[in-house]
Amino acid sequence: MSPEQKKFLKNLKLTKYKVIFLQIAILVIFLGLWEFLTFKGIISPFIYSSPSKIFSTIIDLIHSHNFFIHIYITLKEVLIAFFLGISLGFIIALILYEWKFLAKVIDPYLTMFNSLPKVALGPLIIIAGGANIKSVILMALLINLIISIITIYNGFLCTDEYCFKLFKTLHATKLQTLLYLVIPNSYQTIITSLKLCLSQTLVGVLMGEFLVSKQGIGYLIVYGKQVFNLNIVMSGIIILALISYILYKFITILEKKLLKHI
Amino acid sequence: MNNLIEIHNITKNYHTKEGEISAIKDFNLNLKKGEIVSIVGPSGCGKSTLLSIIANLDSDYQGEIIQHNLKIAYMLQNAALLPYLTIYENAILGLKINHQLTKENLAYVDYLFDLYNLNDFKNNYPKSLSGGMKQRIALIRTLSLKPDLLLLDEPFSALDEQSKLIISEDVYKIIKEKNITAILVTHNIEEAIYFSDKIVVLSKRPAIIKNIISINCENNTSIYERRKDPNFHKYFDTIWKDLDINES
Ligand SMILES: Nc1ncnc2c1ncn2[C@@H]1O[C@H](COP(=O)(O)OP(=O)(O)O)[C@@H](O)[C@H]1O
Ligand SMILES: [Mg+2]
Repeated sequence: MSPEQKKFLKNLKLTKYKVIFLQIAILVIFLGLWEFLTFKGIISPFIYSSPSKIFSTIIDLIHSHNFFIHIYITLKEVLIAFFLGISLGFIIALILYEWKFLAKVIDPYLTMFNSLPKVALGPLIIIAGGANIKSVILMALLINLIISIITIYNGFLCTDEYCFKLFKTLHATKLQTLLYLVIPNSYQTIITSLKLCLSQTLVGVLMGEFLVSKQGIGYLIVYGKQVFNLNIVMSGIIILALISYILYKFITILEKKLLKHI
Repeated sequence: MNNLIEIHNITKNYHTKEGEISAIKDFNLNLKKGEIVSIVGPSGCGKSTLLSIIANLDSDYQGEIIQHNLKIAYMLQNAALLPYLTIYENAILGLKINHQLTKENLAYVDYLFDLYNLNDFKNNYPKSLSGGMKQRIALIRTLSLKPDLLLLDEPFSALDEQSKLIISEDVYKIIKEKNITAILVTHNIEEAIYFSDKIVVLSKRPAIIKNIISINCENNTSIYERRKDPNFHKYFDTIWKDLDINES
């Protein structure tokens, strides 16, 4: 290896370390400042809590409030709603793609439903489904399904005309064209729709838990608000941020695998 | 004499919202086994339409095509390799789609990879290849189906000058060696001359045959030799006049 190449690789590594260092530094400074300002009373510790209080609250929650059950419930709702949303979205997008006539017919309804703030349906869902996990999942599904359908369907539509011609010259059947061309060609959009679906699912689940649930992080936040313990509210938010970060990370790993060569 | 394929009175109209477009009018052509015919004509005159009809991809036309279970393969202007498949997977796509992944056919694919020095790239992905190499993969994909009749729709026109010569030599050699019958569509007059035994010159849309010219070269071993033929310029001039660039 030439000295220049060595230097180049070294620089590359150095940049990577710098980025990680700064990321950690930002977190430490943020938490430190937060702790300091609330400790000094410059901002109200009652409203904004503080890192140390959040930490002790989480320990406390684990002991007294079955904290892990709340996490488990929320995670379960998110995962079920996410996979349902993505797979139903995929199937419906496929049906619309294969049956363009139907797609044309229901287009205005899709648009209308897409722009409707689905939260408005919340009260309806509670009365119809009751205060349980199913209602929360239904709420999330209402929010994430439409966006999954629309993005995946548009991904299918983006297939290259020229590749279609190639498949025609090879006398491919409709199913083969779908399996070897249309679907693999949409990997990029499918990944995008996974990301969109995940964020929409989190919104839906939280919304659902706010409205109906007796368990879950959303419930914990509402509970914290009701008893004026904002440490609980903050702890809920922090855990939620962690969960969404980890789930998002899974999707990026999948993305790297799937799109390696494209 | 026995014809491999006879094309009689092909007429084709496209129907669009804007109205009817007449693409081809009364096209006739007979091909014997091993013959190479070029079709030249201005762009948009209906050449691709004609190939689609011959390839049986389009059955909406008037006229008659007589052939007996010919295996027809079609090579397009762009390689259209699928980015998410390896070079090798792309090369055998035609066989896979047609359920012909037999030992014998795969051995033939290996032979072609050898022939074109592409062995080292088998497990690479298309984005790492040059335009010429991509078109070679497309050629392997087309040839792997062992066609009786090979349809080439401007397969060299997207390539740079050097790759164009190399790839057309590859194609010329293999169709001569395997005695494949071929129809080459091109708007490049020289390419048509050094490639073919017969050139059909088409008019502007709707494509009508303006002239059919037989090409006889002394040395047929390669397109390089054919380019040196003393009659090359004479053929060129004839076709140039037939194409009539100034025709309004
Ligand atoms: N699917 C189609 N529908 C309507 N018109 C078409 C279609 N395909 C081609 N055409 C028209 O037919 C004419 C011939 O097209 P084409 O065969 O592709 O020409 P060439 O290959 O000679 O450039 C063009 O004017 C083109 O606009
Ligand atoms: Mg064309």
